[in-house]
Amino acid sequence: MIEPKIHDFGDGDPRVSVITHANQRSASRGWLVILNYVFYASVIAVVGGLVYYLYQFRDSITLFFPTLLAGAGTTIFLSISSMILAAIFGFIGALGRLSRFGPFRWLAAIYVEVIRGTPILIQLFLWGFGIRGLLEQVGFDPYTIVFNFMTILQSNSLVPNPNVVDAAFYGIMGLSFNYGAYLTEVFRTGIETVPIGQTEAGLSLGLNSRQILRHIVLPQAFRITIPPFANYFITLVQDSALLSAIGGALELQELTTTAATVSASNPNRQLFFYVFGALMFLAICYPLALLAHYLELRFAEAY
Amino acid sequence: MDFSIILRALPDFLDGTKNTIIYCVSSFALALLLGLVLALASGSKYTWLRGPARIYIEVIRSTPMIAQMFLMYYGLSTILFNLSNSFGWNNLAVYVNGWTAGIAALVLNYAAYEAEVFRAGFLSVERGQTEAALSLGLNSSQNFIRIVLPQAVPLMIPPFVNDFIYMLKDSAIVSVIAGTELTSKLDFWRITNGSNTIPLFILAMALYLVLSLPTSYFARWYERKLRAAL
Repeated sequence: MIEPKIHDFGDGDPRVSVITHANQRSASRGWLVILNYVFYASVIAVVGGLVYYLYQFRDSITLFFPTLLAGAGTTIFLSISSMILAAIFGFIGALGRLSRFGPFRWLAAIYVEVIRGTPILIQLFLWGFGIRGLLEQVGFDPYTIVFNFMTILQSNSLVPNPNVVDAAFYGIMGLSFNYGAYLTEVFRTGIETVPIGQTEAGLSLGLNSRQILRHIVLPQAFRITIPPFANYFITLVQDSALLSAIGGALELQELTTTAATVSASNPNRQLFFYVFGALMFLAICYPLALLAHYLELRFAEAY
Repeated sequence: MDFSIILRALPDFLDGTKNTIIYCVSSFALALLLGLVLALASGSKYTWLRGPARIYIEVIRSTPMIAQMFLMYYGLSTILFNLSNSFGWNNLAVYVNGWTAGIAALVLNYAAYEAEVFRAGFLSVERGQTEAALSLGLNSSQNFIRIVLPQAVPLMIPPFVNDFIYMLKDSAIVSVIAGTELTSKLDFWRITNGSNTIPLFILAMALYLVLSLPTSYFARWYERKLRAAL
């Protein structure tokens, strides 16, 4: 039988989730259940094998783990900054899609359709090579801007060399422009899902549309948009690995690039570091996925 | 910006588009098959089926596609090479080229997502249908093939079409390991025409839009028909 599981978040509204696989206590248990113990034994064997594989490469690990950790740090920095910027783009795009003014609506619609219809890799190439070339001809230099900004904050020694800053800037722009389009749809759905009666009640109470948006619609829309937002963040962390493809001179040392460079000479070590890099991604993304699952339950709507 | 380069690059880019379609159609078909197997395994009452299936799905969803591509291309060839050497077989690693590694990575990645769509589809059919079938004396596989599957399939088509559109775009990542996809042609032309790259990007993005926009309109049309029929 399928048994419901009840989550109590203490807000007076228990969420019910359903365990979605057949229960073992069904009538036809059969002798195949013995294979369960084979599975448990094989899990222990696989984990043991993994530990042995890591032990075989312990010298490489001790030598290169700090580099890989720095790469993971860069990945996290890129993901968080891209997500913040993407949320800004998404909010502007959602306002555009919901606007009463025709050209804003069309501009936003074109933005969303073009960005969602083309691969993110091509968009990253466009930003990292195409637009970068154009802006360099015009004389736009992200490094100088970042350096001056950090000088004001008295921390200009933290700024890496110009190649890295340029690559990071165009990478963040590419990622956030792409995810801004997806977040436009998420925010638009969130705003539209708030029942129209809420807006009507606000109007009948004499609020103007800006006040309605800020005090009534957006707080409720926020609750609806949190679960897809969390899922897009996880996808963004993984797509930040694509920046290794545009770092033509390996300027941007994020996790995948680092894994490739520390092992370029030796195919066995290369395989090991790709597996290790994937495990580090797993270590970052699986907890985020558990968090997203928790948020999905926490912000579920009661019908 | 010299737009005449579009005419010169068009035949190459169309060849790349053809390869993209081949990659996507073959990978999606195989991913649906593997996804169905995974979905049945992850809903099974046997832990030894459910465990590996869920671990596989969670690992695939938590690692980037580009890392999986690298693992398929470089990693699999290394593993096969070492395996062939230690067993004295012919070098199996010759079977790993851009096409096979790309299709393998796309299939293995998308099978995890399709498994989730399958599971959601099967769970969306009311339990009452299954209970009625079992009370009428149908066994479990007859129930699945004749009662659950026909009701679940129309509901699963929109997510599958959306996933196909995602795959059209993710096939661009195959360009980092192979040389025949549309993005590879774009890369090749970009490198040989360093100063005049914007028209090439416009052409490549237009070709991808030609592939993905009709598919998304079909998905929206189908969803509207489905909602009208329900």
